[in-house]
Amino acid sequence: MAISQETYQVLESIVGPEYISANPVICEGYRAGPGGYECGSGYERVMTKVPGCVIMPRTTEEVQKIVKVCNRYKIPYVPYSTGFYGARSHPHVSDELLIDLKRMNDFELDEKHLYAVVEPGIIYSQLQEEAMRRGMYIVVGGGGSQVSAIANMIGDGWSPLSYRIGLPHRRILGTELVLPDGELVKLGSLALQGDPFWGEGLGPDLRGLLRGFTGLRGCLGIVTKMAIKLLPFQPERLEPTGISPHTTLQLPTNRVKWINFSMPSKDAMKEAMYEMSKAEIGAGVTKVPIFWRVIAKAKSKEEFWKLWSKENEETLSSFHVLRVLLIGFASEEQLEYEERVLTDIITELGGEARRTRPSDESWFKNADAAGMWLMCGGYVSVDYVIETIEHAIPHGENYAQLKKSFTPPLMPDYGDPGWFQSFELSHQGYSEFLVYWDPDENTDRVDHFYLETSKENIRKRFYTSLLGPHQPLYLTGPAYGPNYHKWLLAVKGEFDPNFVCHPPVPLAHDAFVEQAEWMKPLKDWESPKIRQKK
Amino acid sequence: MKEKLLEIVGSENFFDDPEALAKYSKDFSLAPRGVPNYVVKPKDNQEVQRVIKLANEHLTPVVPSSSGVHFQGATIPKQGGIILDLTRMNQILEVDELNRRVRMEAGVTWEQIASELGKRGFRMIIPLLPHPLRSVVTDWLEREVPTNTVYDYGEPLQSMEVVWPTGEIFRTGSASVTGYPDSPSKGANPSGPGLDFYRFLQGAQGTMGVVTWANLKIEYLPKIDKVLFAPVHDLNYTIDFLYRVLRLRIIQECLLLNNINLASIIAEDWRKDFEKLRASLPPWTLILVISGMHRRPEEQIQYEEETLYKVIKNEFPGIPLADNLPGFPGLGKKLLPMLRKPWPKEVTYWKNRYKGACHSLFFITKPILASKFINKVEEIAARYGYPISDIGGYLQPIEHNRACHLEFNFFYNPASQPEVERVRSLYSEAASVLLDKGALFTRPYGELAKLLYDRAAGYAMTLRRVKKVFDPNNIMNPGNLCF
Repeated sequence: MAISQETYQVLESIVGPEYISANPVICEGYRAGPGGYECGSGYERVMTKVPGCVIMPRTTEEVQKIVKVCNRYKIPYVPYSTGFYGARSHPHVSDELLIDLKRMNDFELDEKHLYAVVEPGIIYSQLQEEAMRRGMYIVVGGGGSQVSAIANMIGDGWSPLSYRIGLPHRRILGTELVLPDGELVKLGSLALQGDPFWGEGLGPDLRGLLRGFTGLRGCLGIVTKMAIKLLPFQPERLEPTGISPHTTLQLPTNRVKWINFSMPSKDAMKEAMYEMSKAEIGAGVTKVPIFWRVIAKAKSKEEFWKLWSKENEETLSSFHVLRVLLIGFASEEQLEYEERVLTDIITELGGEARRTRPSDESWFKNADAAGMWLMCGGYVSVDYVIETIEHAIPHGENYAQLKKSFTPPLMPDYGDPGWFQSFELSHQGYSEFLVYWDPDENTDRVDHFYLETSKENIRKRFYTSLLGPHQPLYLTGPAYGPNYHKWLLAVKGEFDPNFVCHPPVPLAHDAFVEQAEWMKPLKDWESPKIRQKK
Repeated sequence: MKEKLLEIVGSENFFDDPEALAKYSKDFSLAPRGVPNYVVKPKDNQEVQRVIKLANEHLTPVVPSSSGVHFQGATIPKQGGIILDLTRMNQILEVDELNRRVRMEAGVTWEQIASELGKRGFRMIIPLLPHPLRSVVTDWLEREVPTNTVYDYGEPLQSMEVVWPTGEIFRTGSASVTGYPDSPSKGANPSGPGLDFYRFLQGAQGTMGVVTWANLKIEYLPKIDKVLFAPVHDLNYTIDFLYRVLRLRIIQECLLLNNINLASIIAEDWRKDFEKLRASLPPWTLILVISGMHRRPEEQIQYEEETLYKVIKNEFPGIPLADNLPGFPGLGKKLLPMLRKPWPKEVTYWKNRYKGACHSLFFITKPILASKFINKVEEIAARYGYPISDIGGYLQPIEHNRACHLEFNFFYNPASQPEVERVRSLYSEAASVLLDKGALFTRPYGELAKLLYDRAAGYAMTLRRVKKVFDPNNIMNPGNLCF
């Protein structure tokens, strides 16, 4: 334990002896991985450390006190709730204090005004279940239902259900944020009153500190409470069926329907999305990659590979399945009307409906993060970008091309360009590109590919989710904004003068490139030396 | 400094004669006058940048002003300086019909954009009858509330370009890519890069930088519309009805106006119509619009109407919703186009029609609390001898009616000092009392700023720290907000 006995005692006095530990056995439980997001990547191996001490506060006041102690004694700390974000949400320096927020699990719901007030320990499955019982729903982000709702809201937070409201930023209401120096700022209506029902600030909106397009991984403070906007649903119950892990929600088909369509081309899928938006129908629409279907069918890793090996570039490039969600928000008649309009659109475009199960396996309930490491052991999304549908399609194709020279070690996927979907009634489009690898193999080229995607985005002028702490800040900074990194670092410097809040984020990927020998040949941008405590 | 400003914008776009300066020293608000030293009208972001850099060298305030008309005192200089009048930057730069996006400069007005989009079969969701000369970009930055409630995503603002108070030019969101707009990225995502910079610019009254252009969402014009009205005698009952039906996502525009505001809007011949209308209109009127979009519009309207009337029949029989307001034939036909356009330029602005000027008190609250606030305002108005029957009322449901914008309009004769003073005092007390009662003022104009930031000390302190990062010399519109 590198935290001094004296400091430990101070921290212990804040939470009590049962909620702090420097026991190596306890701390080992917080090691990043194994399995899952970014597992076995170079970043994980180089940048993550086992914490030196773990503390579990119960209240915002306790969090503030802990953070102030950390600032006084220059103890690096990282906020942690459910830790889905693998390597990047774990300690990056030795002897770091991990502030585990799971005990903060209060939860209130205002049904009339469509919001829930949650603490960081509340996960999506709890929130979705309670919301649905009351005729509301929430968009469960791709991290899955097991993740902290707050962490996801300030990190990512979207899915095919983002069709009606894409950006999670719009659903963040009154929020409590403990700044990196321990000061508390209350955002939205909480700034003036106890009711967190409204998100906008008094004048300029300080929700701008919570995240960028994607999150800051806890380097600009700790959200201890957040009111999250819920969306009105329809009145029928979605009935859970099956035995874990093969569970589904049985849909009331008079009100909720997924319908899959075979389409003649990618262009026809794109056109269908725009036409749906023109008619203002639907509750979700996404291209289905063949890969999803194989994952859904496979009951084991072996079965996955058996099925996947039957595919080839031809089967992939000719697979054009569009999955549409219809919801009769207002009435059964609405669903019937929308189905008629949808049929018109699909028929005009030469598509046809496929038999579709009247159930939801993924998006209402749990997203599908848990199934993603089944086939290889390690995976990461190298982009999940919200722009336009016009941006989404070439973006994925571009990545597929780039990926060819990195396969293997990346999993062979026959040139799959990922998937795209419509957001905010096609005002926006979304594309996501995942890669998979075997963490037991040499992953240097995986790390290379990850970095090369950033360079490719800069060269081709694509927007990207992997900014801020997700790629080298001095690489992306000059290219976006331009020079967003200067402002981000200036804000960080203002609120974290001791640089104790999750160091060296947002410069962690810069530090990784400096420290990993195999990354050095790729460094062709200017940056100051990143100081990194070992 | 004068010579350098002249060099930047040219003599035809530089003003320092007393008459020109006086124009910028006042507006339609009750804010105290404040005279600038210079007025410049830049033509592009480069000129804006050069003016701001110069202002930093001289530590001179810069007050950005985009609209041709102002109601809140935000552009009145508090410490002199340079008025950066952006009205020359009034180009609609792109209309991207496929992605339903328009990119426009800060000086584009509601009149301009409504006309351009209408020609193409599009519209932008719009606040209630904005002044035709108001800047569209500014109104969205200042979080005006739209009358349309059907889109879950609400706010139309997407990415934008800003000249920071240090003079650096920056693009937010997905417009931040190198070379934008010559890029696959269209600017549809407002968020990032790195931080949500756009949030700092919202509600900022020009204190955080100069937005030079922005991307905004546009929507298709419906094929068919139906306007429905209900006279409201029991506001709480009607609000309960809105809690129920606005969750269904079938109502496009939805608002409640009291008799004086509705009369001010629909009176054609003012002298002849206004008094008659206000006397005969119900205390409040509910206005709803349902629409049929581009496919099977009749079928859409049919299910929407059936759903609405089913709810009324089974749950709210006391809502007399109908195609017209009893006693006001043809009102629907008249009102619908008005709701999708700015106020006509040739007619005195609706808020100024009654007495020549209007001071508005507005805030966000939960609809269930509206009646409490209305009663309180009437009680305070009575104490000041302001006739209750002269208070304009506007309730705008937001986000499925989980909140609302509640607005009170105090009309007065600007030439009458006693009337001015009465409204000023009444407004001050009402703001303070309503704040105590839970009214959420999120747009702190004028004297509200001190009232709010004194109470929200933690927020104000953090805001100052952010401001210091972007505007170390505090040159951008000082004296507003808490800076």
